[in-house]
Amino acid sequence: MTAPAERGVILDGRLVTLGPRPLKGGGQAAVFPVVGHDETVVKIYREAPGAEQERRLQRMLNMTPLGGRPIGPGQPPELAWPTAVARSREGRFLGYAMRRFGEPGHVQLVGLFTRAQRLRLFPERTDWRFMLGVGWNLAFMTARMHHDGLVVGDFSSNNVVVDADGFVTFLDCDSIAFTDSVTREEFPCLMQTADYAAPERLAGGPATRRSDDFALAVLIYQLLTAGNHPFGGVPHDSESETTVKDNIAASRSYVARPGCVIVPRSVIDPTVLPPVLLDLARRAFGPGVTDPAARPGAAEWLRALDEERRLAKVCPDRPRHSYGSHLPTCPWCARAAVTGHDVFNATVSIRPTEEGRQSSGARALVVSLAIVLVIVAVVIVVALSLRN
Amino acid sequence: MSDERHPETLPASYEDIEFDNNAQRLPLVLCLDTSSSMAGVPMEMLNKALQDWTRELHDDVSLSYSVEVAVVTFGGQGVTVWRGAQPLPPQASVSPFVPAYAFQAPVLTAAGVTLLTEALELALRIVAARKTELRTSGLQYYRPQICLVTDGLPTDGTGHLTNAWQRLVPVLTNDQAARRYRLYAIGVGNISDMGAQVLEALAPEFNARLHGFPFRELLQMMSNSINAERRGAGEEIQAKIFADFRTQRSAWDA
Repeated sequence: MTAPAERGVILDGRLVTLGPRPLKGGGQAAVFPVVGHDETVVKIYREAPGAEQERRLQRMLNMTPLGGRPIGPGQPPELAWPTAVARSREGRFLGYAMRRFGEPGHVQLVGLFTRAQRLRLFPERTDWRFMLGVGWNLAFMTARMHHDGLVVGDFSSNNVVVDADGFVTFLDCDSIAFTDSVTREEFPCLMQTADYAAPERLAGGPATRRSDDFALAVLIYQLLTAGNHPFGGVPHDSESETTVKDNIAASRSYVARPGCVIVPRSVIDPTVLPPVLLDLARRAFGPGVTDPAARPGAAEWLRALDEERRLAKVCPDRPRHSYGSHLPTCPWCARAAVTGHDVFNATVSIRPTEEGRQSSGARALVVSLAIVLVIVAVVIVVALSLRN
Repeated sequence: MSDERHPETLPASYEDIEFDNNAQRLPLVLCLDTSSSMAGVPMEMLNKALQDWTRELHDDVSLSYSVEVAVVTFGGQGVTVWRGAQPLPPQASVSPFVPAYAFQAPVLTAAGVTLLTEALELALRIVAARKTELRTSGLQYYRPQICLVTDGLPTDGTGHLTNAWQRLVPVLTNDQAARRYRLYAIGVGNISDMGAQVLEALAPEFNARLHGFPFRELLQMMSNSINAERRGAGEEIQAKIFADFRTQRSAWDA
């Protein structure tokens, strides 16, 4: 999509010029930079938005969501709230302006879900504990919004951004569902993202706190497993495409029902989640799929995450390895030993020479483990025979 | 000394796509005309657009999360499959698909004949093979996209016009009805009326005849359409994105 024919739009009675190319273009709208105002972007709807959308934005300009609460130093706002309605010179409603939350300072949440992106876009020390902290912030933001009567609605890894300190900001505020406190007019959320949509939304139902709870559970699970989607995997004997959406609709999650789908051998075992968190995930992806009331709410996630972030252990052997206190040894080291893939560190070159060294290293490890096992066995046998 | 888990022929990026996460993949095949009629400025523009688009792809956190790209070219003496910037030997066993964040654009040169039919058939084969590969390893995928770009008419190996492409029409109709992939067929430059008709027959819904060589806009449209696919957009949205693109005119247009 290109900029509207005349690149001049009116914001708050002032004429500004949009940049020629959008920063981001989707099906419904595109986001443009504003020439000379690096801190502002303007979202322009692809098709003339209706009067209802205009009323929604006018109403939003008079609201101060999550207002009056302290935010820490250096923390960005949690919502990229509309700051002005954008109109053509003739006064036609085109879209709205908001603060820019762009790279490199703010990265889409999905950037935390692949190793290459994590290493490229986030601070060097980004580890599991950081991911857990981001999950906490996400749950906190959701809980606050629900407290204020706002429903995120279209909650996904694309419209939440994270900064270097793990603070999160929700971007697409024009899709938030709320009720006008004066007129009682309801503004529903009409957008959704398939990978995060609860089954009742896939079936055409409205966005609710419960559907937010579903998306929140998926996002937190992804954070805690370095990006694995709990509804990934292909049903046995599948001959055609199966999407995340299909698995959600059919309530097929390997987290709640191990073995119900074929998962890539690379999938991280759900037990990397501390038991309390795993219980919540299994509730959300098991009974919670079809029964919205069974899903853990944001506050419940918050309590559980709070507990774990204090307890997280740090691996003495490799950098960026931290893990839940329920595990006796580092799961990331164990995985690297088996697969050669270190979730938090770049893989060493696999040139043949390197490879030889690596596998002989692994062999040495296996040999020494075997020796330890033999010694343990001998000790046990001796101990047993002594008791007799 | 070789480790069974790491065959030496397995490049690092291939290993990554298996191991990084279980994201639902979106295979994209660029099926590009590199026959002699593309020589000179058009080929320079195509190469430049590929480089720019590759950079944008790397910078787009969301796209590079799930898109994987393969390139098929038709020109010279035949058809070539590329794995990123490297042409693959005909019987290569590695997949030509490269995760978007690791994709490097090939540098293409123009010469020879227009084996469009064979190139498209090859594109269909690698898409089908990739889908099986993903499925058996437990990875999900969105509907793949194939983007065919040409400025001429299909020829045979000796450079003579051929109607061989007609054998593809029932296959494509059937496959698209089954939503196996979405085919875009784009005519550029001075493509003739007949050339445009071929593209219309191959891709009744997503064909376009563009003035000049607006490759950059074309690749951006592919990105937008992929974004929409990932959002779960329906056919109407895809049609809109394509219609928007089709109404654009290149600055090359007199």
